[in-house]
Amino acid sequence: MTNEAVAHESDHHAPPPNVAADVVARELVATTTGASGRFKAWTWILGILSVVGIAALIVKFIDQGDDSTKWGYVAAMVSFLLSVAGGAPMVAMAPVMAKANWVRPITRIASLFSFAGIATLIMLIPLVAILPPLVTEGARRRTIWYMAPDYSPHIWSTLGLVLLLLTGIMLFYSAALPDFASMRDHSTGWRQRLGKRLARGWVGTDVQWRTLRMRIGMFGTFYFLILVFVNFLISTDFGQSMVPGWRDAIFPMYHTVSGFQAGVAGVVIALYFSRKYMKLEKYIHLDAFWSLGRLLFALTLLWIYFFYSSFIVFWYGRSMNDIATLDLLIKGPMIYAFFAGMILLWFVPWWILIWNKVRRGTGAMVVGSFVILLGLLIDRIRTFVPAWSVPPENIHQKWLQEIPATVWPDVFDILIMAGGISLVAFTVMMMTRVIPVLSVWQVQEFNLLAKPIRYIKGHATLVAKPD
Amino acid sequence: MQQRRELDQVYTNRKLLNGQLDTPKWWLPTVSILGVVVLIGVVVIATMINKGLGVTGLARPVYWGLFITTFVFWVGISHAGIMISAILRLTQAEWRRPVTRAAELLTVFSLLTALVFPLIHAGRPWRIAYWIMPYDVARGIYPNIRSPLIMDPVAISTYLTGSTLFLYIALLPDLGNLRDRTTGWKNAMYTVLALGWRGNPRQWKMQTVGGILLSALMLPIFVSVHSIVSWDFAIAAAVEGWHSTIFAPYFVIGAVHSGVSAVVTMMALMRWLWKWDDFIRPEHFDALARLLIVVATGWLAFTFLELTFALYGQDAPEIALREMQMFQWPWNALFITFFLTAYLIPVPMWLFKRVRTNIALMFWTSILVNVGMWLERFLIIVPGLARRTPFVYTWEAYRPSPVEWTIFIWSFAWVTFLMLLFSRFFPLVPLFEAKESQVFTDDVMIGRAKVPAIVREAD
Repeated sequence: MTNEAVAHESDHHAPPPNVAADVVARELVATTTGASGRFKAWTWILGILSVVGIAALIVKFIDQGDDSTKWGYVAAMVSFLLSVAGGAPMVAMAPVMAKANWVRPITRIASLFSFAGIATLIMLIPLVAILPPLVTEGARRRTIWYMAPDYSPHIWSTLGLVLLLLTGIMLFYSAALPDFASMRDHSTGWRQRLGKRLARGWVGTDVQWRTLRMRIGMFGTFYFLILVFVNFLISTDFGQSMVPGWRDAIFPMYHTVSGFQAGVAGVVIALYFSRKYMKLEKYIHLDAFWSLGRLLFALTLLWIYFFYSSFIVFWYGRSMNDIATLDLLIKGPMIYAFFAGMILLWFVPWWILIWNKVRRGTGAMVVGSFVILLGLLIDRIRTFVPAWSVPPENIHQKWLQEIPATVWPDVFDILIMAGGISLVAFTVMMMTRVIPVLSVWQVQEFNLLAKPIRYIKGHATLVAKPD
Repeated sequence: MQQRRELDQVYTNRKLLNGQLDTPKWWLPTVSILGVVVLIGVVVIATMINKGLGVTGLARPVYWGLFITTFVFWVGISHAGIMISAILRLTQAEWRRPVTRAAELLTVFSLLTALVFPLIHAGRPWRIAYWIMPYDVARGIYPNIRSPLIMDPVAISTYLTGSTLFLYIALLPDLGNLRDRTTGWKNAMYTVLALGWRGNPRQWKMQTVGGILLSALMLPIFVSVHSIVSWDFAIAAAVEGWHSTIFAPYFVIGAVHSGVSAVVTMMALMRWLWKWDDFIRPEHFDALARLLIVVATGWLAFTFLELTFALYGQDAPEIALREMQMFQWPWNALFITFFLTAYLIPVPMWLFKRVRTNIALMFWTSILVNVGMWLERFLIIVPGLARRTPFVYTWEAYRPSPVEWTIFIWSFAWVTFLMLLFSRFFPLVPLFEAKESQVFTDDVMIGRAKVPAIVREAD
């Protein structure tokens, strides 16, 4: 290679130059205004689909509210939305705790998903009403609520989800204070008034910064704990305990880990579209995709590990419980969903994400993320639909003696699922009109702490790691 | 965070090679005492093999006791190496550098020790050969390859091979260094072992790529080893408390908890014995303690799920077992000790930076963790077998015999003995890592504050 070629190659890998702080504030605040025609059209479409989905949910409740076996797809949807909307804000937390600098610019986009928790809550309401009580006709089914009052799962699941939503919003708000101040200082009209109101007198004193960091740490920790707890409740009360004999200690963790996987996939998709259509290439570096790709790859492997750990114990166990559980969830009515989930949630993403070249780019990363979300939806259908298809009169059996037939979605289910997914996308898109999609102060901090340097014959970044 | 400390290369060489180029005064007496303990252990093992397993406390219905518990314990400790070396290398955690060699070494030696226990537990170890050489296939008498008891040795030996290779590749630059500083037979030995290491750019590149590739390849093996160990128990539906889907990740995270704690213990000892205060610093203990808080809390969540879903089935035998484990003497005392030592005492202490950077406190808390983690394995394995069940007519409580306790103590002496022997010939802190750390760390001024920084090469 000639010297020029070496120099060119070396420059190609150079970290992007930093942007001045005032330019960052001005440009990022400006992203909240002037939506394109395409953006508006998509917002309308998603908004309408969301409304139709909610209407379908109400009509289904009126029409089929007395038959729990028909609510499997809604339960799967609750689980799916909890995974995406609940898991995504963790991207804003976990790497920050590990002091990863690459995550700073994208924490906002991840925490915007907290608001999408509203979609999960809306879907949960009819499900709580339909969930069978713990004790029917004097018989108590297997649950985690050994001696607790009959309606414990109903109350605690709802409370947990509300608490998750509130904590997520508080996490978002705590980290958004300096940006509201930026809006106050750099925008006009209602955004300026909103910024002024929500900034609560932020001027950036030492005390304010200290409090801000403390709040982020506190709400982030709470959020993580509540998220794990809610995953535990939803996966057990709305899934496992609906099937007699299904005793799977790893299932709540499996649910949580696949939730993180979906959350990261959701963030990658949101990041891709923001970068492309809001022209944020100079703020969202390929480094972020590279690191998210590695995280996604690790979570994909973790998913298959958790799945296999559960499967092998049932497979070898060969007790009546084990056989019936495998027949219901894998070999029986859901065999096609099982194979589809396995391919989409593990094999395809694994094969895509294993390549360095893919993780350094954006196109294949976003395809991989879409595949993961589709795979997760199918996997949730595989677990929750057969669980809810068990007739309530059989719920107290020692093990499931008769495997129910495959339940296919009706028109309500399809509309509800489309509506639920649309509502998540709609909420995130609307929030980008209220606050910059990238955190202004964290982009500035990113620039402050990372300095591109020449290193031997190539380029490197000097990353400061304050305590 | 990794602080920058200016250390010149001559000083680094002199300090880190002080075990190989000189013999510390304490080395010979310590190795001699340990050698005696090891010898006693070998004699006891030989006697046990000669007399049979009747000299142990194992009897119906408890056939898996102290030996299997200690086997699981050492396999758990072996997870330190890959956790520290491979995962932290892949995640580019800069503070890992002084710790890697000790962790890898602990992996190799603890695996070697772990392998001894199933062998001697078999009573007639030579019969293990039947696993390797199937016989009488015509009558269907051959090892069942679907059994985790067969998968287990395969996984462990693969892990041992990989870990040894991993350790060796990381040793190459240091071997080259030692070759250039020794004479006589030592020089000849290092010359052979260094494989012609000259430190040219190609060799460095190959060594780095080899390390990264091995890290990635070792990770699935690392996870599979303890998972398969857990399936020795989990797939047995007949024993209450064992047939749980959570066992594989529960065992793995427990192994990481105990393995990383063992590394902390070792680091403290290395710092005290070889006076490596400049290389193994409080900030390294701080980072490891932070890692341990996360791992231990994850482990606690798995423990919670394990217990919750044990009761979830509402099966009378399972509930009776848990009652026995938690409320009946002497199991309840063990259970309380286990919880206190594995989590409730150390983790709250580690929340304070003052504790995390206090080497003596870190040393003792890390030992506590391993006391707790050994008890955890004992409480998983033995009570499930010991509980009185309807069709067991010869029933007595299991009490490990002095023979078992001696072999148990032997295992610790043996690992320490091997470590000290290794330290006489090879550096326990990688020299090249210590020097690379000098290059990759820096300080930057942000405002008026001096902040530690690290160099990240562009991908």
